[in-house]
Amino acid sequence: MVLFECQGNVDGILTGIYDAWASRLGHGNVGLRIPETGTMELFAEYRSVAPDPEKAEKVARTIRRRMGERAWQTLYQAALSSRRDRADRIYRVLVLALAPGIGADMAGRILDRLQDPDVAAVFEMSRNVGNEAHRYLGFVRFQELSGGILFSRIRPENQILPLLGDHFSNRFPRENFVIFDTGRRDALLHRAGGPWAVFEKAEMEELQPGRFSAGEEAFRKLWKGFCQSISISERENPRLQKQLWPLKYRKWMTEGEDFLSNHRTSSP
Amino acid sequence: MRIAKERDLYEKLQILSDAAKYDVACTSSGVDRRGSGQGMGNCAASGICHSFSADGRCISLLKILFTNECVFDCRYCVNRSSNDTPRASFTPEEVCTLTMEFYRRNYIEGLFLSSGILVSPSYTMELLYQTLYKLRREYRFEGYIHVKAIPGAPAELIERAGFLADRMSVNLELPTAEGLRRLAPHKSRKRILAPMRQIQLGHARNRQELSLYRSAPRFVPAGQSTQMIIGATPERDYQILSVAEALYRNFQLKRVFYSAFVKVNEDALLPALPGGPPLLREHRLYQADWLLRFYGFSAGELLNEKHPNFNVFLDPKCDWALSHLEQFPVEVNTADYYTLLRVPGIGPKSARRIVQARRLGSLDFPSLRKAGVVMKRAMYFITCRGRQLAPLKIEEDFILERLLCRSSRKSGEPVSYRQLSLFDAGQLLGPPPAELDQTGVTGGDGYGSF
Repeated sequence: MVLFECQGNVDGILTGIYDAWASRLGHGNVGLRIPETGTMELFAEYRSVAPDPEKAEKVARTIRRRMGERAWQTLYQAALSSRRDRADRIYRVLVLALAPGIGADMAGRILDRLQDPDVAAVFEMSRNVGNEAHRYLGFVRFQELSGGILFSRIRPENQILPLLGDHFSNRFPRENFVIFDTGRRDALLHRAGGPWAVFEKAEMEELQPGRFSAGEEAFRKLWKGFCQSISISERENPRLQKQLWPLKYRKWMTEGEDFLSNHRTSSP
Repeated sequence: MRIAKERDLYEKLQILSDAAKYDVACTSSGVDRRGSGQGMGNCAASGICHSFSADGRCISLLKILFTNECVFDCRYCVNRSSNDTPRASFTPEEVCTLTMEFYRRNYIEGLFLSSGILVSPSYTMELLYQTLYKLRREYRFEGYIHVKAIPGAPAELIERAGFLADRMSVNLELPTAEGLRRLAPHKSRKRILAPMRQIQLGHARNRQELSLYRSAPRFVPAGQSTQMIIGATPERDYQILSVAEALYRNFQLKRVFYSAFVKVNEDALLPALPGGPPLLREHRLYQADWLLRFYGFSAGELLNEKHPNFNVFLDPKCDWALSHLEQFPVEVNTADYYTLLRVPGIGPKSARRIVQARRLGSLDFPSLRKAGVVMKRAMYFITCRGRQLAPLKIEEDFILERLLCRSSRKSGEPVSYRQLSLFDAGQLLGPPPAELDQTGVTGGDGYGSF
C-alpha cells in the first residue's frame, strides 16, 4: 500500500489525487491521507505530496468536463470538509466515475449512487459543508471599524470561506470587508469594487480590530433591542431557539451575547 | 391617546417592532436576484435566517410597523384605536437608515414593512410607497422587501408599491367572513380580497411582459402571501385548511401563514384560551399546509366533515397513512415518485434521491437512511427488496402504539412546536425527476487520464 500524504486544502487534495492516479500503482494499492490525521499505518509506504496548482487545476478541469458542473460543486464542497477521510473518499468516487466505458452522462450521475459507501460519504460531507456555509450566510456579523471597513470573525467547522465569497462580495460590492476564520486563521478579503480572495494563515496583526466607528455602538444597541422586542413572550421556547440557533454560533454574533445561556436576559 | 413628546430612534424601534411581532411572515424567500454592483444587496431564493428570537421564530427581516397609530378598532389587535398603548411613527429616512445599517452588518436579509392605519388607507399606503421609493431609488437598496398592501388603498398606489417590493401580502385576518364581521367591524372580506386579486392579476400580467422583454420591471417577483389568526373564532381545522387550499388555487398565493391567537386585549367577544396560544394546532396546520403544497394532498383527503380537526398526537401525514393502510406497504425499489411522497418519513428530497439512486442498483435500508429517509416513521410503511425492516404488522393499532411510544419516549416534555416559516422557496410539487438511463456502471480498475 502506498499512501499519498497531501495537504488538507483543495489544491493539496487535488494534487494528491493527481499523483496517486499518475503513479499507476493500481487504485487498490494506493490511498490518500491528510497528515494531521494521527495514527500511521504499518506496512504502508508514505509519499509526501507538495501542493501544485497546475496539477490541481488539471484534475478540476477533468472533473468538470467529464462529470459536469453540479458534480464538481459537490466534490469541491466535500474537499472543504473537516472530515479526515475526505481526500481518500473523493479519490474512490473519481475511480468509479472516470473508469473507462463510463459515458459523460453517466459519470456525473455516479454521485446519485448512495448505495456506494464512498459516494454516500462524499454526499454527506458535501451536504454538511453546504449546510454550514448556508447558515453562515445569515450568522456572519460585521462590525464597522473606524476606517469604514467591515470586520467579522467566525469559527466554522469546515473551510467555508470560499463558499461565502461570491455571496458577500455581490451583496456588498462597494464595501471593504474581512471575514476571519479564527480557527484556521484564514481570511476572506474584499476590496470595494474589486474581487474577493481567501488568504490562508493570515497575519493577525493586520486584522486586529482597532477602534470601532462612531456609529457602531448605537446600531449594536438598536439591533440587540430589536431581537428582544420582536419575540412574543406567550410563545417563548428556548429549546426550539437552541435547536435552530446552536450556542456555538452565538459567541461570535452581536445579539448572541444576550442569549449565551438558555435564560432570557433583559435588554440593555 | 397621543403622546406628544419626541421619541428617540431606540424607543421608536422598540415600540414599532413590538407592535409588528404578531405578524408571522418573516421569510425572505422566493426570489433570486444578483446585486447590480451599483447599490447594496441581493436576494437568495432559499431565504436566509439571520437569527432566532426567544420564541424560536426566525429573524430574517427587519419587521416593523411604519406607525402603530390606527383608526381601526379590531378586537384582537394590540394596536386597536381604543387601546391605551404608547404610539410612535417612523419617518421614511429613519426606516431607510435602519434598513441600510442593519443590512450592512448582515443583521438582516431585508425589510418587512407594515403599518397601522394612519388617517386613511390611502394616506398610509402613500407613506409606505414613499418609504420604499426612497429606499430603492435614493439609498439603492437591492435586498428583500416585503410590504403590506393596505385594503382600501387606491389600486394605482398598490401597483406602484408592487414594482418596488419583492413580496406583498394582504392579511385575511380571520378564516371566515363571519368571524371578520364579529371581531373586525371596520374590515370586510370583500375589501381584503380585492387587493389580493389585483396583485395576483398584476403578477400574471408581469410574467407575460417578462417573457417578451426580459428587462421589464418586475412586479412582486416573490409573489404574495397572507395570514390568518387561528383560535380567535370557532372555525374547525377542516374549514381553515379548505380556505388555505382555495387561496393557493384561486389566488396563486406563495404562502398562507397561520398565527396562533395570542390574547392581548380583554374583550368579551374573544375566547379565554386558558392554555395559552393554540401552538400545537397551529403546528398541525403548518404540517398540513406543507402536504398541500409539496406532497400533492388535498384538504379533503386529510380532513372531512366527520373528522374536522387534526389528531393532536399524530402528524397529519402519519394520520392519513394509518387510515389508508390498504395502500401500504410500499416497495421503495419500484413505487413511483408520487407514491413514495405519501409515505411518512419520506419527503420530496429523499423521494427524489431514491428515484435517482435505484436506477443505479437496488436499494437496501442503510442506503435509504443515507438518502435522508426518517426510518422511525417510514419503517412501518415500506418494504425494501420485498422485506420489512423488522417483523412488523400493517395494522393500525400496532403501528399507532409504536409511533406514539417512540415520540413520547424521545421527549417527556410537551410536544415542541416549530415555526415552519423557513424554507418556502421550493416549487409547488414539481415534476418527478427525469427517468435516468439504464446504463450499467462497471467499477473496473481502469485508468482514464487527466
